[in-house]
Amino acid sequence: MSLDHYHWLAEQLPAWEQEGIVTADGARRLRERYAGKPRGGLAQMIVGAVGALLIGTGLIALIASNWDIFPRWVRLLLALGPLAATQGVSWWVLGKGESAKPWQQEAAALVQTLAVGAAMALVSQIYNLPGTWTDLFFWWCVVSVPLAWVLRSQATAIAYLIGITVWTVAQAADRLSWSAAADIADVRLWFPLLLAGVLPLWPGPELRDRPASGSRLVLAIAALVGLLAVAAFASIRRQAPDYGFFWLAMLSAAAVLLFPLDRNGIAEPLSRKPQVLLGGLALVIMALIATFEDPARVLVKHVRFALPLGWCWLLLAVVAGCAILAFRQGRYAVLAVAALALVPLVAAPLSAADTSGWPVAITYSLVLLATAIVLIALEFLGRQGAARIGAALIALLVILRMADADVSLLVKGLAFIVIGSGFLAFNAFVTHRRRAALTGGSPA
Amino acid sequence: MRPALAVFAVAAVAQWFLPLSGIWQHERVIARGTLVRIECGAPDPYDPLRGRYLAVRPAQSSVSKPEGFPLGGGKVPVWATLEAGDDGLSRVKSLSLEPVSGPTVISLTARFSGTSNGTDVIWLKWPFDRFYLNERLAPDADKLVAERLQAGEKPVAEIRLFHGQAVLTDVLIDGVSIRQVAKQQAE
Repeated sequence: MSLDHYHWLAEQLPAWEQEGIVTADGARRLRERYAGKPRGGLAQMIVGAVGALLIGTGLIALIASNWDIFPRWVRLLLALGPLAATQGVSWWVLGKGESAKPWQQEAAALVQTLAVGAAMALVSQIYNLPGTWTDLFFWWCVVSVPLAWVLRSQATAIAYLIGITVWTVAQAADRLSWSAAADIADVRLWFPLLLAGVLPLWPGPELRDRPASGSRLVLAIAALVGLLAVAAFASIRRQAPDYGFFWLAMLSAAAVLLFPLDRNGIAEPLSRKPQVLLGGLALVIMALIATFEDPARVLVKHVRFALPLGWCWLLLAVVAGCAILAFRQGRYAVLAVAALALVPLVAAPLSAADTSGWPVAITYSLVLLATAIVLIALEFLGRQGAARIGAALIALLVILRMADADVSLLVKGLAFIVIGSGFLAFNAFVTHRRRAALTGGSPA
Repeated sequence: MRPALAVFAVAAVAQWFLPLSGIWQHERVIARGTLVRIECGAPDPYDPLRGRYLAVRPAQSSVSKPEGFPLGGGKVPVWATLEAGDDGLSRVKSLSLEPVSGPTVISLTARFSGTSNGTDVIWLKWPFDRFYLNERLAPDADKLVAERLQAGEKPVAEIRLFHGQAVLTDVLIDGVSIRQVAKQQAE
């Protein structure tokens, strides 16, 4: 809980008690639950992070401008001195325990993380060590992530997530290169392990801590981009003309979309669930692409190539496990979108090799239409749905089909006007209906 | 000790271990290693974390395939014995698939490259590929290297070898450190 929310709750509780909204016991339990737990909000994180970055950058610039005049031992001292100093500061902040301010924790963790990176980069530079900058990233991330755990630093965790994602993407890109293919790490193993590196922070040892909004977004982006990179890595086969990236990417997006949530998480609005938004968006975009004949044919080929891969079966198992859990929790809207990833699996055995992609493309159009109808219907049935998204999906589908249809420009123009008007009218109707209901329900 | 302090202590040790192990390893080679000079090329790329450097590419990038070298595309560790010629520059004299010892032995990786003029050739990956330079000097050094290359002169990489390990200590032009030459040119 951020400091603002904590203060707001503390201010509201006496009035709620007086008005009988909560019992005295309930108010006491709420106070106990959040007592001493106010964590830094965005402002605290920014203050700490900006201060740390300025100090770190200033130090680096000061040293770099005079680098050549120093003998090697002085340069080593300058490389390692900041590391020792920042470790001392972090130890002091840690020693303060609960009395340490969030901005102090953020600043100490981030400056030390920068000092670790600077020490490693400078030693590597002093001895002219070979290797790419992404190799440095890996070790930098590994030895810095404990600072995020012990100092509860969101900024360091964000830096770590960016670092492991960049490293994973670089490994996947390297796999395409013939010269580097023998050196690269197997990210099918490493990325999940590295991603698990944030678990001691979120949800933490007591399984109660949740990332703040900004951190959630970075976490969701890191998971999605990282899994897409792993999908590319797993599907690239040297000297093989075809590969299975398209379908593995769909399964990766479905896995992110279906990430298990507890009851509180499910009740949160869509804006607080970036993994649902990003995973669903990625999946819908890929499904829309597959409504065209060429991509649909490629997709079926990719299913045939991906099916023998171990990574594909692991993804299928994860998607199936998460889907069962989502079904039990009644997350039908999310399930409807996730089902888009399974269409090629059903279509592939029914399509002969090298035949037209139209059967799959048409199937995708119909499934997308059905998904949109489900999203609208769920909301009208009082369940968690996404009527606006469903309507937007139908509008998009019609626009795509009209765009490649062999009809005159006049007909296309009229159709677009009708679709646009219908979409706006539906949007206004949903807004009116929600206001009337006045319950402030969450859309997905 | 609180668990957080214990975790921090372990992380702090790991943060020291990485740079210190590198320093110890390379200082040992610099202090006790044999000085060897090899001909190389050196264009000027950029590393986003470590800054500007000259990409040191030894002139001898491929040799004839030794007996027993696998024909697949994978990288294979090899041990090369270098020998200095009359010009003072060292070249690969012999290549072994098993570890060998000697003051001018260097550990490399190699990959089968193909057949050229009826001879099977392997490609060598040297254990150094960059020489870091000051941001201001690097473009001058790059220009300098290009000019000298056009004039038919090649830069020379100065390396130290110890127990097969190599550390690149300098890049020379006409026997003078490129840092010094570039600095003089800049002034």
